[in-house]
Amino acid sequence: MMSSEVFSANTTADGGIDWAEKRYLIIDDFVGIRQLLRESLRNLGAKHIDQASSGGEAMVLLSKTRYDVVLCDYNLGDGKNGQQVLEEARIRNLMLPSSVWLMVSAEKSVESVMGAAEHQPDAYIIKPITEGVLLTRLNRVWIKKQVFSEIDQAFADKDYLRAAKLCQDQVAHHPLHAIDLLRMKATLLLKAGETEQAGVVYEQVLQDRDYNWARCGLGKIRMAAGDLEAARMMFQAVIADNRFYIDAFDQLAQSFQLQGKTEESFDVLQKAAKLSPNSVPRQRSLGQTALKLGNIPVAEKAFRKCIEIGEFSVRKTVDAYLGLARVCGQKNDTKEAIRLLNAAVHQFGGDQVTLRAKITEGLVYHESGDFRRARKSGDELEAMLADDVRQRPDTETCLDMATLLFAVGVKEAPVHLLQYVTRNNHDNTVLLDDVQKIFDRARMSDEGAELIKEARMEAAEMMNRGVLLWKTGKLAEAIDWMRTARRALPHNMRILFNSAQIIISALQQNGYERGLADEAIGVLMHVDAIAPGQQRFAQLMEQLAMLAPVSGVVAAAAASEYEAANGPVPESTRFTSS
Amino acid sequence: MDEQASQQQEGSPELFMFLASTVHDMKNSISVLSGTLENLLSAHQSSAAPEYGQMAQMLYQTKRLNDNLIQLLALYKDVGKPGYPFDPAPRSMRELVELVAGQAHMLLQSRGIAFEVDYPQDAIWTLDEDLVIGVLVHAINNAVRYTRDRIRLTIAVDGDYLELRVEDNGVGFPANMLESGASAKAAINFLSNSSGLGLYFSSEVAKMHKHRQRSGSIALENGGALGGGCFVLRLP
Repeated sequence: MMSSEVFSANTTADGGIDWAEKRYLIIDDFVGIRQLLRESLRNLGAKHIDQASSGGEAMVLLSKTRYDVVLCDYNLGDGKNGQQVLEEARIRNLMLPSSVWLMVSAEKSVESVMGAAEHQPDAYIIKPITEGVLLTRLNRVWIKKQVFSEIDQAFADKDYLRAAKLCQDQVAHHPLHAIDLLRMKATLLLKAGETEQAGVVYEQVLQDRDYNWARCGLGKIRMAAGDLEAARMMFQAVIADNRFYIDAFDQLAQSFQLQGKTEESFDVLQKAAKLSPNSVPRQRSLGQTALKLGNIPVAEKAFRKCIEIGEFSVRKTVDAYLGLARVCGQKNDTKEAIRLLNAAVHQFGGDQVTLRAKITEGLVYHESGDFRRARKSGDELEAMLADDVRQRPDTETCLDMATLLFAVGVKEAPVHLLQYVTRNNHDNTVLLDDVQKIFDRARMSDEGAELIKEARMEAAEMMNRGVLLWKTGKLAEAIDWMRTARRALPHNMRILFNSAQIIISALQQNGYERGLADEAIGVLMHVDAIAPGQQRFAQLMEQLAMLAPVSGVVAAAAASEYEAANGPVPESTRFTSS
Repeated sequence: MDEQASQQQEGSPELFMFLASTVHDMKNSISVLSGTLENLLSAHQSSAAPEYGQMAQMLYQTKRLNDNLIQLLALYKDVGKPGYPFDPAPRSMRELVELVAGQAHMLLQSRGIAFEVDYPQDAIWTLDEDLVIGVLVHAINNAVRYTRDRIRLTIAVDGDYLELRVEDNGVGFPANMLESGASAKAAINFLSNSSGLGLYFSSEVAKMHKHRQRSGSIALENGGALGGGCFVLRLP
């Protein structure tokens, strides 16, 4: 159908959204632009308009008021840039689910097509912005938000499978958003551990056009499945087509890393860091890879940059300080290394950081040949571990610790540590091989193998007892026993999953009970924090949601409780998709 | 970054640094200029006042500045090469027309030029919206200079291509421009005058749009529905 009309700027083709009653925040360091935007918004009828001239000012306002619309310039002079303001606002939950974030920039932004940012604005707008353009973009984003609102809610509730089904239902009704819906569906399927189905969606999209995100998505799936060569080729093909698609660089570096090709990985990371230097995780990877290769100047530069950009970012990481301390150790400047480690403990605090700083201290002394001090660090570590009040660190830290303790000549503490790791991961054969290797290096091969076997038995027996109670219909006892098992093995995924499964069975048989449901959610959130993207997690969440609507608030609270108690989950364990 | 680009950068790293940082500043100034002019023009009820015409002329000049800046920036960022942040996505033609009209509206009204649009209401096409809007707005600003009093933007699906046309009722393009067609090579021939940059930019944008071994193109014609110059952008 063709139409012929003379355009008038007042035409809105939407369902008549009332932009007058919304709360607006304008963030721009240029006063003239702020005034212009305010004028445009007033012409749309807006009454509540706040302004900020810097990222810091914006954060203060954002924490006081829940804005419906944020217009934020990407370049804000010194301090945070627009992307960092957005990230912090999202991570600190300062926005409503319905809030619209428009990123304004002077030129076509590389960020918009990089595919790397975890937190994306709803749209990018290029200056100059006329009123008509602003209205069109606001309406467009609003309509898209409507299309995605139920999906976003299910996503927030971590009911990934239902959210993926909702995406599929919407595709037919919204041809304009079909591609975005499919992209979201694939992301959700990955989160639900349904990699094969996610792959089907990516393939389907690629039939239509060579979208970079779909090619990268397939690459990630191949990589997770261990087909590293195929993954490498896919990432390289994306880069050949689009040298700004930074996500492909990061993934390519990861695939080289997994192939044990540290030098190739290092090359790619250097290129990526040159293209887009302001990413904390990227600079961290570059520093750690350079350290592995003994390239001290690059490692130092990367870790320093990492600290510098982390200063204004919620992604600030202690790893940069620990890495830089190692660098100083390699340069025989142990004094500076110790100063950095103290700064890290002071800035980040918490048991995890204290332990990891102590490990690094031991390593620095050990590598500089000061064996007496290294041994002293080992003894101090042992004392920390003996203190039961402290949280046990994550698996990776435990292995590092055991390695160091053996190296400096401590024996009992690392053995206990490795037993603890084994009990909590009794069916993870890859990890148990690593544990065995640490025993091998400590010249305890046979003894180690025996210890691993015992620890595995112990965990299996604990679990089997719970399952047996459940299968013989003693549900209340089974639930109770699993609580005991969880206390003994707080990080054992199998035990956590079965514990949730037994509670859900009880709810299905005896009817819904709020307290038990919340307990199951808490357990599942804990698993999701340790190891995101598990198939069983998604399935159990779906079963729970069928019993009664899971409130996102409960889920979020459980997740943040976990993080508050245990510190943020290290990113290296995450299989994220964008 | 490949060898060639890094050599280029090494040639004058200061220039590149200043370019990148100054652009934001220039854009802010232009935004304030054009925004303020548009607000002033829309507040003026009577277009009979002598300063109204002068403001309209200033707005036209500001738009030209902005066009040139957009194009230079895109070229600086290697538009047409794998290094450019090219971002195709499915877009509604209704919204595309709305966005182009939203940018051109005040300029056209202040110059007393009637603007007509004709497009398939429900069509969706995959394209890089920012780049295509840049090309169309530039074509409209160019037509403002040559038209008598009418400009027409039409979009139509033609087989495997989307055809976007900007037409006016002026005297049309000079023969030498039509003959050499609107290739990038031809654009170089016009480097001595103002049409070179715009044509070159537009043809690079067209070429970036590829689908199943086909790519976009631009063309200049005379005639069309209004009998004047026509700028044509075809996208696969």
